[in-house]
Amino acid sequence: MELRAENMIVTLANTDIVNDISIKVKNKQFVGLIGPNGCGKSTLLKSIYKVIKPKKGSIYLGDLDVLKSEPMSVSRIMGVVGQFNDLSFDFTVEEMVLMGRTPHKKFMERDTEEDHEIVREALNKVSLTGYEDRSYLTLSGGEKQRVILARAIAQQPSFLVMDEPTNHLDIKYQLQILSIVKQMNVGTLAALHDLELAAEYCDYLYVMKRGKLMAQGTPKELLTSELIREVYDVSCEIYTNPVTGELGIAYMPFS
Amino acid sequence: MKSQNSVTTGFRNKGRVQQKSFVMLIVFLIVFIVFSIGCSVAIGQVNISLGDTFRILLYKSSGMRLGSLDGISQASFADIIWHIRMPRALMSMLIGAGLSLCGVVIQASVQNPLADPYILGISSGGALGATFAIMLGFSIPGILGQMGVAVWAFAGAFGAALLVLAIANVKGKVTSVKLVLAGMVINALCNSFSNFIVYLANNSEGIKTVTFWTMGSIASATWDKLPLVAVSICAASLFFLTQSRILNTMLLGSEAAVTLGISLNQYLRIFMLVSAFVTGIIVASCGTIGFVGLIIPHIVRGVMGSDHKRLVPVSILFGSLFLIWADILARTLIPQSELPIGIITSMIGAPMFMYMLMKKGYGFGGK
Repeated sequence: MELRAENMIVTLANTDIVNDISIKVKNKQFVGLIGPNGCGKSTLLKSIYKVIKPKKGSIYLGDLDVLKSEPMSVSRIMGVVGQFNDLSFDFTVEEMVLMGRTPHKKFMERDTEEDHEIVREALNKVSLTGYEDRSYLTLSGGEKQRVILARAIAQQPSFLVMDEPTNHLDIKYQLQILSIVKQMNVGTLAALHDLELAAEYCDYLYVMKRGKLMAQGTPKELLTSELIREVYDVSCEIYTNPVTGELGIAYMPFS
Repeated sequence: MKSQNSVTTGFRNKGRVQQKSFVMLIVFLIVFIVFSIGCSVAIGQVNISLGDTFRILLYKSSGMRLGSLDGISQASFADIIWHIRMPRALMSMLIGAGLSLCGVVIQASVQNPLADPYILGISSGGALGATFAIMLGFSIPGILGQMGVAVWAFAGAFGAALLVLAIANVKGKVTSVKLVLAGMVINALCNSFSNFIVYLANNSEGIKTVTFWTMGSIASATWDKLPLVAVSICAASLFFLTQSRILNTMLLGSEAAVTLGISLNQYLRIFMLVSAFVTGIIVASCGTIGFVGLIIPHIVRGVMGSDHKRLVPVSILFGSLFLIWADILARTLIPQSELPIGIITSMIGAPMFMYMLMKKGYGFGGK
C-alpha cells in the first residue's frame, strides 16, 4: 500500500510547524524521517495519523483519502506506534494488545477465538509470550514499547507509522523492534533519531529541518558529512563499517 | 509444534474458565442483592419477624394473589414493609448502581482515577438548587411545584454540569484537564452562592434542612419516586454496557484512541451528558451521597482489572450491594434515630480507599 502526503502545511498556535512537505512511501518500502529535535517530524506524522488536522495538503493511503475518512476506516489499514504511551489506569498486556482489534469490531461484537489467536501471534512476534497477565504499568520501557508494537501488529495493518519507536530502548531492543517491523513487510514511515540505524533499516530517507524538507534519497547517497553538518550542526566522518559493511558515522565532539 | 499446541489449548481453557467464573460472579452478586433487599426490608426499628416479612412481600409482590395477610400480628406491619422499607431498599439499590456506574464512566472520560460523578459540579449545583428552593420557599406552580426541592436540585445539578461542559468546550477540544478544572471552578462558585443564600436568609430551620439534604438520605423514598430513577438508571446502565470498547480506548488517551479508530471528542460529550443527567436525578432524589462513585470503581478495578467489559457490570451490581448495606447501617447503627447515609458511605469508603492505597500493588486496575 502506497502513502502519498502532498503539500502538507501544519500550523500550531499560528506557527508553521510543517511547511509545504510532500513525501511518498512506495509499496512495502521502509521510509525514515530524520531531522533534529523540533524539526516537525512528529507533527507531520500526527497529521498523517489524524491526531492533528493539517491546514493544507492531501494524504492518500492507497485509494483512501485519509483526511476525509473516518478514523475507523483509516485505523483498519494503518497501525501507529506513537511516542507517548503512559496510562493513568492499568491494563494487562493481553487486554492492551487485544485493543488492537478495536477497528475491526462492529458495535457490540465480542472478541472471538480468532482475535485471541491474533493476539497470541502478535505477542509471540515481539517475544512477549507468557506476559499476557502481567500488568502493563509494571513493565520496563522496552517491554512497554514492544506491547504497543504488538498492539499495532494485532491491528493487522497494511501500513505502519512509527514515531521514534526505539526511544529509551537499549541496543538489543532497538535492533529487535526494527527487525520485527522489517519482517512485517508492510509500508512503513518512521521518525528515527539514530542515523546509523536509519541507514541500516531504511530503504529511503527524508530529511527535515525547521519544518522544511531539506533532502531525500537512499541512505547511501543522502548521508554525507556535509548534510549532517548542515542539518544537525555536528561534524562527522562517514565510513564503511569494516565488520558489518554498513554505513558508519563517527561524530566529532565539540571542542 | 506439539508443545505449542498444548500452550494454545491451555490459553483456550483459561479463557473459558475466566468467562465461566465471571458469569458465576455476576449470578452470585444478583442473588446476594436479592437477599440483601430481603434483609433491608426485614431489619428496622419496628421488629417484624422474618416469616411475616416474607409473607407480606410474597402477598404484595404477587399482586395479592399468593398467600394472605391473615395471622400477621399487626396490620401496620404490611404498610411498614411495603410502603416504607421496600421502596427504600429499591431506591438504595438503584442509587448505588447509578453512582458507581457514573463513577466508572467519569473516571474513564477524564482519564483520572480521582474523579467521581460529582466532579462536574453536579453536587454543588444540586445543593445550590435545593438551598434556593428550601431557603427562599420558591416553587414552581402546577405539577412541577409538587416536586419542589427535587426539581430545583435537578435543575441546579444539570445546569452546573452543562456549564462545566461549555467552559471545557471553549476554544476547541474538550480535554480531561479542562473538564476537571472547570468542574472545580463551578463547584466553588455554586458553593459560594449556596452559602450566600444561607447567610442572607438566616433561617435556622432552613439551615438544618439544607445540611440534612447535602449529607444525603434515602429516607424520603416512596413508590412514586421510584419509576423516574429506575428508568433513567436502567437505561444508562444498558447504554454503557454496550460501550465497553470505547471506554477501554478512552483510558489510552485521545491520541492512541484515534489511532485505534475511536474519535473520543464526540463520545466524551455524550458520556458526560448521560452521566450528568443520571447523577442529577440521583442528587435530586436523595442529595449528595459521597464516596460511592469514587470507591466502588476502584475496588472493582482492583479485583477485576480495568477492562470495562467486566468493570461496568460488576461495578453496577457491587455499587447496589454497597448502598443497600450502607442504608441498613444508617438505619440501625444508632437506636431510635437515623444517620444520613452520606455519612456512612464516607465513613466506610474513606478507610477502604486508604487501605487500597497502602496495600502494595494496587495500580489503578492492574492485577
